[in-house]
Amino acid sequence: MLLLLLILFQVIESPQYKRVEASVTQLRPALYAAVYINKGSTSVGSLSSIGLFRRYEGDTAWVNLRPNTITPGMGFTSFGDRHQLYLAGGNGLHRSTDEGRTWRVLTGWRTKEVLSVALDPADSLRLYISTPFGVYRSTDGGSTWIEKMRGFKTWFVRRVILHRVNRNMLYATGEDALYRSMDGAETWKQLSVGVPGIKWVMQHPADSNLLLVGTEDHGVRYSTDRGETWKQAAGLDTSAVYTLASTRDGSALYAAGFQTGVWRSMDKGATWSQVWKAPDFDAIYSVCVNPRNPDHLMAGTNGSGVFESFDNGRSWHDAGLPTAIVRQVVMYP
Amino acid sequence: MGAFGPMKTTFNILLLVMVMAVAPAQSVFEQRHAEVVRVASDERDRSFSTITAKLKTGNDVPYALAMLDSLTKDEAIGGMFYSYSLIGCYLHTQDLLPDSLKRKVREAYRTRTMYRGDTENHWVMYYTGLYLAAQTWPDEEGSRWFNGRSSSENFQEARDWLDHWIGISSTKGQGEFDSPTYITTFMTPMVVLYDFALDPVMKKKAQMMLDLLFVDFAAEHLQGNYGGGHSRDYPEDIINPLAAPSTFWAWLYFGEPGFPPWVETRYRPRHRSGWEPVFGAVSSYRLPDIIYRIATDRTTPYVHTETKRVRNVIRFGKELNPPAFKYTYVTKNYILGSLHGGILQPIQQHTWDVTYASDKPNNTIFTLHPFYSGKELAMFFPEEEKFLSDEVDRYHKVYTNPNKWNSSSPYEQTFQHKNALIVLYHIEQGVKQPHINGFFPKNLDEFVRNASGWIFCRAGGTYVAIYPLKPYQWMEEEVNWRLRSHELNNGFVVEVGSLDEDGSFEAFQNQLLQRKPNYENFNSKLTVEYTTRHGDRMKFTFGGERVLNGRHHSFKEYGFFNGPFVQSKLGSGVIRMKYKSQTRTLDFKNVSIVDTP
Repeated sequence: MLLLLLILFQVIESPQYKRVEASVTQLRPALYAAVYINKGSTSVGSLSSIGLFRRYEGDTAWVNLRPNTITPGMGFTSFGDRHQLYLAGGNGLHRSTDEGRTWRVLTGWRTKEVLSVALDPADSLRLYISTPFGVYRSTDGGSTWIEKMRGFKTWFVRRVILHRVNRNMLYATGEDALYRSMDGAETWKQLSVGVPGIKWVMQHPADSNLLLVGTEDHGVRYSTDRGETWKQAAGLDTSAVYTLASTRDGSALYAAGFQTGVWRSMDKGATWSQVWKAPDFDAIYSVCVNPRNPDHLMAGTNGSGVFESFDNGRSWHDAGLPTAIVRQVVMYP
Repeated sequence: MGAFGPMKTTFNILLLVMVMAVAPAQSVFEQRHAEVVRVASDERDRSFSTITAKLKTGNDVPYALAMLDSLTKDEAIGGMFYSYSLIGCYLHTQDLLPDSLKRKVREAYRTRTMYRGDTENHWVMYYTGLYLAAQTWPDEEGSRWFNGRSSSENFQEARDWLDHWIGISSTKGQGEFDSPTYITTFMTPMVVLYDFALDPVMKKKAQMMLDLLFVDFAAEHLQGNYGGGHSRDYPEDIINPLAAPSTFWAWLYFGEPGFPPWVETRYRPRHRSGWEPVFGAVSSYRLPDIIYRIATDRTTPYVHTETKRVRNVIRFGKELNPPAFKYTYVTKNYILGSLHGGILQPIQQHTWDVTYASDKPNNTIFTLHPFYSGKELAMFFPEEEKFLSDEVDRYHKVYTNPNKWNSSSPYEQTFQHKNALIVLYHIEQGVKQPHINGFFPKNLDEFVRNASGWIFCRAGGTYVAIYPLKPYQWMEEEVNWRLRSHELNNGFVVEVGSLDEDGSFEAFQNQLLQRKPNYENFNSKLTVEYTTRHGDRMKFTFGGERVLNGRHHSFKEYGFFNGPFVQSKLGSGVIRMKYKSQTRTLDFKNVSIVDTP
């Protein structure tokens, strides 16, 4: 959440975004769900129930912000802040500066599918994207992109994140390993996580040296020295973990993945216990925690829509978008 | 169609067949085109191709306008199929459209979701549509477009990608190569691009791509059948080759098979695809005579080899686009063709078959390992490995089916020399679908499972002999016999002959009965040695060398194209066609076409 606040502050401070500054106080807390595809459809031509959905807190109806540019794609969704939404998808990286009313595709054909985006909080013109064909960096707000893969041994990169404090440091999940850059993606070094198939990387919100990764078949691993050495977390040992999330202060961490349900750690990722079995569907792609209310959780599932808990994960209810494959859920205060 | 519709259609077909029977093939070319448009104009489906046909012929115009109007309103549809065919229909018929409908078509490119897709054919359709739409409505700002980018930005991106695709397709080959099913999704955008690109260089490139797509097909064509190995093929088309969409294009441009593809009789499967070839029928593109000759002259048997490329391998590979090698033997009776094996395409690969000229459906014989795995799919798609198989099954229905008729497999490899083929299987323990399937049509004229181990088949004048290395079961199904073997280290030796080559079927059998492959200790050696009935010594080890008459068989000799009709050096961008004294050279690097004489 601190990252989001930093971005919000910096973006609003940028002269080019002064126009939207005036409307900040009018925004209602909102939930976003990125629907990759709907299991009710059987054709790539069926586009009416996919895209980015928004639901204001307290409402029950989801509004599809999809039209025109938001495409199903194969990837994940990332956001900057409420005034500058980014969506990674099959048609590339999309940006909206009017709360999703209109969108612009920032990338061209060379970047193909975009899987994630990372924003530099200190420089709104500097963006990083991960794709099946590598990491790309833009220093002009997304007008042009340059491939940045020096040091990578493979080209598939699922996720790239920026270090919360050091804006030249990035982490990227490659096909074979976790990579780190200390120079703004100019060069990358492979880190020895000890297992292949890194699916997710997260920096702890209260401890910038603590990194956690979700893996294909080895649950969660964590490092307390910025990725130099790694330990296996207890619990979830042989599971595929696709996503990690945290409360605003990092006191509780959440993990989910393939047939795992939702798991929680109260000791910075060292041990995990299951809080929700979620027997009715096979995977959870995304979990998020309400920044204003740590008891309020949301989960995006693989084909069963969105689920929501108001009691810290003890009980969950269907929160809509039935049959949707929800790749990411995000809450904005 | 009205009460006299069927009678009128029957009369027209009879007339067409009669004209085709007495006139030179090229002279009835225009009549075939006209007939496609006329018949399509009677169809009532809601497609841009039949709307185009109706408006072009003036038949059923109010219905066509209503359909076009509804297609511009329906927000549930969009994407690459929609994008290129909408602009194609619009550009062909704009003079006939009311202004209000023209505005709705324009508006569709602002309000529809034009999904780019994730395959080569998707991108060809998407960028062709984007190129022509941006050209049609230039100088408009991003707010007027679905993706927020201006006309000039969209035009430039589309042009750059089309240049890239034409470049790589003419030097390294297509990723979705030689597909009887997907050929339509390449042909149709290219004819539309050829007809309407204002830039003469892009128009010329579209023409050259059409020539390349057609000659690629022509060299492996037999009476409407697309022979040889295929990157992507649907099961319905694999077991019934004349039902494939490629047959429509063959009939339209090559004049074969000798009946219109929309006609179905007891022995003729109705064409399975839609009416997209209408865009070819109304196009000003004309097939060069030399390609027509290459497609239809089967006087002399020949070997034709090609190198294609695997589509982008984004994970678990050492190379982004490894080569795919094709070997095809073509005669007037049959085509025996093969890909070298392994995973060259996910989901729908068809590695080898013998397809023969026949009046009957299901005119093909082949074997395969019905492999599937999330890891295979994750090589090509960025989704999660653990449920990619289920994901793909939702669209393609048969991916995890143990009886499926299309599949790539890392456990299947081939070695072909002329009309002899060795296909080997080395299936790992514990793999899903641990068995091999073989397709044998039930309508064969003669079928013998000889005690020697050979299986002999006769279909008209084509003879096929198959020697399974290991025991198998024989299962009767609706249109075929299914050979099934659960032996994991396994293989087949295949020889194909004909009345012209071997005389009687009995004589063919007698030649084979005198020979047997040597595969001692196969489980450990995975090696087969076999001397063909023509005396060629083949030795093949799974995962090892292919040796012909003591000499290492090199894929380097395959070239980009290498055969009597088409030659090209891999990477050169120069494709030379030859038929008797005629030649046609496509030079993609200099965007030129040279014909002789």
